Amino acid sequence: MAQGISIEGLTKRFGSITAVDDLSFDVPSGRVTGFLGPNGAGKTTTLRMLLGLVAPTSGEALVDGRRYQDLDAPRRTVGAAVEAMAAHPGRRARDHLWVLARTAGAGPERVDEVLEMVGLTEAQHRRVGGFSLGMRQRLGLASALLGDPQYLVLDEPANGLDPAGMAWLRGLLRGLAAEGRTVLVSSHVLSEVAQTADHVVIVNAGRLRYAGPLAELDADGRSLEEAFLDLTATS
Amino acid sequence: MRTLIHLELYKLRTVRAPLVLLGLSQLLIVGGVTGLVVSSDTLRTADAAPSALAHAGLASLFTLVLGIMAVAGEYRNQTITDTFLSTPRRSRAIAAKLVAYAVAGAAFAAVNAVTAVVATRTWWSVEGVPLDLDEAELWRTIAGCAAWNVAFAVVGVGVGALMRNLTAAVAAALAWIALVEGIVGQLVGDLARWLPFSAGSALGDLPGRVGGLEPVSQVAGAAALAGYAALFALVAVTTTVRRDVT
Repeated sequence: MAQGISIEGLTKRFGSITAVDDLSFDVPSGRVTGFLGPNGAGKTTTLRMLLGLVAPTSGEALVDGRRYQDLDAPRRTVGAAVEAMAAHPGRRARDHLWVLARTAGAGPERVDEVLEMVGLTEAQHRRVGGFSLGMRQRLGLASALLGDPQYLVLDEPANGLDPAGMAWLRGLLRGLAAEGRTVLVSSHVLSEVAQTADHVVIVNAGRLRYAGPLAELDADGRSLEEAFLDLTATS
Repeated sequence: MRTLIHLELYKLRTVRAPLVLLGLSQLLIVGGVTGLVVSSDTLRTADAAPSALAHAGLASLFTLVLGIMAVAGEYRNQTITDTFLSTPRRSRAIAAKLVAYAVAGAAFAAVNAVTAVVATRTWWSVEGVPLDLDEAELWRTIAGCAAWNVAFAVVGVGVGALMRNLTAAVAAALAWIALVEGIVGQLVGDLARWLPFSAGSALGDLPGRVGGLEPVSQVAGAAALAGYAALFALVAVTTTVRRDVT
């Protein structure tokens, strides 16, 4: 069976708008891959198609050769955090995670573990409505980690994090890759992922602009930032 | 499937909205029975006691809103994403919700029935009127009201899944009950007796509520509401399976 995350000819049209246009790339295993592009480039739509939330118009997005919705144990295979505010404001953080843990086949001790990993142990009995955006991002990461998955798909996890939070996130992602996990993390800011990712996929207007090692992005002597801006300039 | 149903019930227990709705139901029932007693010339008419008890059925308004929150509430809080990530076969996720909310509707129904019976008995004894209601009729009314509560919870799940916008769905449901069903009823003549709220009233044994028309029998009301519940359950599943969650 094909291993890894693989996007093949993926296209999504919403009415007359083509959000994702014949996108193909592979996500290398055991590494952090930055999925980059300006706002509206089609990153979120691509990730949602990968997770079975949005149906592709054509093409496919596969995890280990299968669609997400065909996986035997989706949350144990892919951990995803794609919505920063996604929790009932009146529910306590621990209850929120416990609901997701049950469907990920995880027990209460795993909830303790992920709370510890994201630094929310102290806040676990508070209602999520009182959480800052940064805390909600941490809660989202905790929910992604519940099933101890091989793959992590994170949509803009750095949004709303303060500098200390950003540093913590970088450490977390690097640690996860060091354990052999595959991490796909989107961002519209190159510098957010430049210190973490060793592979980048850059999209603009729904089309692939670059997929390869981050190190080769500035091969022609330009800075990373310049290369990124050139690739994502209006075409 | 059992796990999914238990999880839906756990989700209901870990937020406050269901308790608020349950509390409001009791206020409506006690207020309704009290209003009937203080505004009535005599409690000795044959209709008086069933009318009082049937307020348990009118509390279906709140199980309807509860049901609407099942899917529309998840869209509002964006938790629907996590729900479908956990259960990518969405028909299973929705089926679990339908069962769980029917169970929750039944729990509401039990509390509603107790409140209605206690409020009715209390007022009748305060007024010094013997409660002219044989056991069979009491149970028939209570059972009908309970079935109405449950059916409206299931209908609510369908309405919420169809509309997805919580505010719009609640507004539409309340507008239907307060206004639209009456207008539609005038347009369809005799069929008005079979519209959801009228059928519910018949099921809840609510005497003479269908403007001008003799209500359908309780059994017919039950059949009609079962049909609506099945229809809306189907709507809930079919609308949810195909749609993109963006």
